[in-house]
Amino acid sequence: MEIKQTALAGTLESSDIQIMLSKGTDGITIDLESDVEKQFGDQIRKVITDTLAEFDIDNGKVKAVDKGALDCVIKARTIAVAQRALQTQDQPAWEAF
Amino acid sequence: MNNEIVDLHLNDPQVRKTWEDFLTSLGITDFQSQETDAIDFTLGIYEGDKLVATGSAAGNILKYIGVCNKGVDQGSRFNTIVSALISRLFQQQIFHLFVFTKLKYSDSFQHVGFHELAHSDVAALLETGDSSIDDYLDAIPRVADQTNKRVAGIVMNANPFTRGHRYLVEQAAGENDVVYVFVVNTDASLFTKAERFELVKQGTADLKNVIVVNGGDYMVSYATFPAYFLPAPDQQVDYQTTLDARIFRDRIAPALNIKTRYLGTEPLSRTTGIYNQVLQRELPPQVAVKIVDRKTTTDGTIVTATAVRKAIADDQLDSLAALLPPSTINFINQHLESLQFRIKKGMNINGN
Repeated sequence: MEIKQTALAGTLESSDIQIMLSKGTDGITIDLESDVEKQFGDQIRKVITDTLAEFDIDNGKVKAVDKGALDCVIKARTIAVAQRALQTQDQPAWEAF
Repeated sequence: MNNEIVDLHLNDPQVRKTWEDFLTSLGITDFQSQETDAIDFTLGIYEGDKLVATGSAAGNILKYIGVCNKGVDQGSRFNTIVSALISRLFQQQIFHLFVFTKLKYSDSFQHVGFHELAHSDVAALLETGDSSIDDYLDAIPRVADQTNKRVAGIVMNANPFTRGHRYLVEQAAGENDVVYVFVVNTDASLFTKAERFELVKQGTADLKNVIVVNGGDYMVSYATFPAYFLPAPDQQVDYQTTLDARIFRDRIAPALNIKTRYLGTEPLSRTTGIYNQVLQRELPPQVAVKIVDRKTTTDGTIVTATAVRKAIADDQLDSLAALLPPSTINFINQHLESLQFRIKKGMNINGN
């Protein structure tokens, strides 16, 4: 699916992750800032990429600032940002959950 | 209202005083009206009735961020306030943000996803959002085999494009394979950015090796160099221009293989005079600085855009032929009324 507008979800509070999703042309690119990048960077990227794949988003720029979010939080924030970027907030994507 | 984000209405004198006292206690003391008037909104966090964190935004620039960490985890309030500012700006469809801050806070901003564009001994400029300086540079047109060409750059506001600008571009075009002319993007001049850009394009259309591009947020913009548009003390101009020069030297010039930057001498504008000095201090040896003497008319008057704007205000169009290329004269003749209207409405024509 095509990203219609840049969107943001999440905050910079502890245990949260702030994710920004905007148009891209070069697959999914993820710019990740995290204190636990070394330990969990790959896992965080995987959760984001997998969740975006459920929305059939193949191209997009992701900018994520992680403050120690658990996988479920990362997934929830990614779903929120994807729906906002696709402007489909009013149609919950049950299968993505 | 503990630790909740609230809007601070600075036109309330009580709130304003609390806000100024709080920031003053943190070492932020510049509350001149030209700085504070630009603020679009201000957020704050109270602990009891005590202000413990605040941040403001002016356009796409974060300003006046101050946080007290007493009694809480280091950085948590900072994250909260920055997070709230970013969300608010996003709701307003502003997706590309800048912050100009003291060098010691650069790390804190990098920790919340900002990337540093440049820093000097005292200050740093950072950006975040859905586009970056790399996207900006990627979008600039290039010529074949550019790494082996002689490339020069000129930055101009061109308010409006005069024979003086034309002369400067001609000199550069004669001595180089490619010349980039960056037109200042900030809309704070008599001629709008679209008008200025178009007049530069028309005025250089016959010079085949000149590429006119938008200076974006990275060259003499409100973010990099606010003092160009607002009156400011010399030292502040120096701080800001140092960052502007370093962005050019470290980011823009290497990406485009720009080896020389051309400047016009600046006998009349103090701010631009300081800017030119700073460029000469900062750019070499990576980028050579070449100063071209001001163009004068046949009777020896210096060609400046300031004189052109004054002539428009005074309705003295006869004097313009000596100062302007035909494309700019045509434009002024066609849009005289609207230009004079803008001046009447209070557009400052004596600045840059």
